[in-house]
Amino acid sequence: MLDLIIRNGTIVDGTGMPGYMGDIGIQDGKIVATGSIDDSATEEVDATGLTVAPGFIDPHTHFDAQLLWDGKAKPAIEHGVTTIVPGNCSLSLAPLKAEHRMKLVGMFNQIEEMPIKAFEEGVEWNWETFDEFIARIKKGLTINVAPLVGHSVLRLWVMGDASMERTANAEEIKGMQALLEECLKAGAIGLSTSFVDMDETLQPVPSRYADQEELHALCEVLSSHNKILQIVHEFYDADLTVARIDQLAEISLKYKITTTFSPLFVNATEDDSVAKVMARVDEQFQRGARVWPQVQTRPIDISFCFEVPSLLFIRLPSWYQVMRFGTHDEIVAAFKDEERRTQMVAEAETMSPLWDMLVLRQVDSDANQSLVGKTLAEIAGMRNTSAIETMIDLSLEEDLQAHFLAANMGHTDNAMVGELLANPRVHLGASDGGAHILSFSTYGDTGYLFSQFVRHCKALTIEQAVKKITLDTANIWGMKNRGVLKEGYAADVTIFDAEQIDRGDEYYTDDVPGDGHRYVRDAIGVHTVVIGGAVAYQDGEYTDSARGSIV
Amino acid sequence: MSDLTERRKTIIPQANDTWETIAARVLPEQDTTEACGRLQSWNLHVFMRPAAPEGSPRAGNPILPSDIIFVEPPAAA
Repeated sequence: MLDLIIRNGTIVDGTGMPGYMGDIGIQDGKIVATGSIDDSATEEVDATGLTVAPGFIDPHTHFDAQLLWDGKAKPAIEHGVTTIVPGNCSLSLAPLKAEHRMKLVGMFNQIEEMPIKAFEEGVEWNWETFDEFIARIKKGLTINVAPLVGHSVLRLWVMGDASMERTANAEEIKGMQALLEECLKAGAIGLSTSFVDMDETLQPVPSRYADQEELHALCEVLSSHNKILQIVHEFYDADLTVARIDQLAEISLKYKITTTFSPLFVNATEDDSVAKVMARVDEQFQRGARVWPQVQTRPIDISFCFEVPSLLFIRLPSWYQVMRFGTHDEIVAAFKDEERRTQMVAEAETMSPLWDMLVLRQVDSDANQSLVGKTLAEIAGMRNTSAIETMIDLSLEEDLQAHFLAANMGHTDNAMVGELLANPRVHLGASDGGAHILSFSTYGDTGYLFSQFVRHCKALTIEQAVKKITLDTANIWGMKNRGVLKEGYAADVTIFDAEQIDRGDEYYTDDVPGDGHRYVRDAIGVHTVVIGGAVAYQDGEYTDSARGSIV
Repeated sequence: MSDLTERRKTIIPQANDTWETIAARVLPEQDTTEACGRLQSWNLHVFMRPAAPEGSPRAGNPILPSDIIFVEPPAAA
């Protein structure tokens, strides 16, 4: 008698081989049989007409905080994701001394747009070391977690405030090496660092003050544990990206480790930039380096209201300064001040025609409800003014609760994105799951992969697409015994309707601690998700299962 | 990296590098002010960075030890 049998599905096993009809038998959290199974089980799932695949792995998330109040990392699981990698981009929640908690919260708020109130009301700060953090999130964990440790927090622990001012001395580098060693032994899958991010005071995050000696010393530790290095680089510039690829390749070859950089976007205004970057990736792979670019499936959409700072305005200093540092009343006052408003409008005109295309997404007042869904150009036409003035006027009329959507801001050329996703040297990732929660939904990239790039564009076969987000990811990240439906492997399984799987519409919800909101998407066509051998999600409902583990 | 195709030349700053010290090292034949101006125009990602606060060891110098600094202009389109 087995624990669970999934019967009569089309098994797309993660290896890229053609799907086949069969059953999957599960016992004690592992796959114990495939093919035709005569045995019986405590629980059976009928997968007739459905695709049975290994659980999807999301390698670029920021679920660090959410895991403290939601061990399911909702809604990741319902999109078929069974393993997540938090701690990207130099930021993890451990190791973290008590005196640095608010500093790190500030960085998460600035970089990942996580509300400070969610930390204040959703987080019980009862850990400092990485080991203690792992013990903390293990309680009630449903999803599997493969956590990175952040370079910025290593610096903060060892150097304190000096981590944000200078390079480390030899003793401090040794301290960071020892700390990284401790984190890796406690379960970290690798190290993340950032070459671009800014903290809440708009100054560089600690990792950016590291010199080559420090970075190499940390990679030496990664090497001794065969662990990965993740970076976020200057993704807006192809020449800088190529230089970072060379830097990573040198590290990869010297220390024999895997490296990955994210994100890589298809930029419509620089259509040769991806070709330039991928040519360098190809050259470096041919030399034996492992430098994996991470590419997301979804186009870039950004929503915002002026109540919270949005990265959309980061290149408009007169706007961003007041959004970032101003109170509600100060933002309103800035919009009402004729001189400041004139300056802001002039500055925003440098980004025209973006504003014309913005869509009014949500308002509170009855008076403006009829405008929801219209572009600012349309509303401005009705009001005989400009789109920028309309955006400010609506924000004042709604007491800053007018929400706007900038849709399809980039990464929109499906033919180019599809070709990139299908490239064997491209790694699917960069979802940013759990971050930017008031700007866009970071969930549903897996469904979008199948709906857009398997069914619609036919850039990948279903077997290739499954392999990209299962075995390839497991191999790149060194996750042992995951990513394939094979005897002896972890029983993480996603069962879906290949003709239906997709992401649902984006909507605004209020399930964040501290009366917070976020944008999410429901899944379409995902039938059952098994994690650690138990059903975690089925027919639109989460179960009470908590079989998630630290990978 | 002799087996790689040529790419735009870069350096990674040395400890306490400034525009002037980089200019002296990579563009020694040029007037320092002009060389600094060229470096800054090739490295707007560093030059346009928000200034460090007063009292910071970085005040007046935007260059970070982890930066990539271009030492030649972009290739012609």
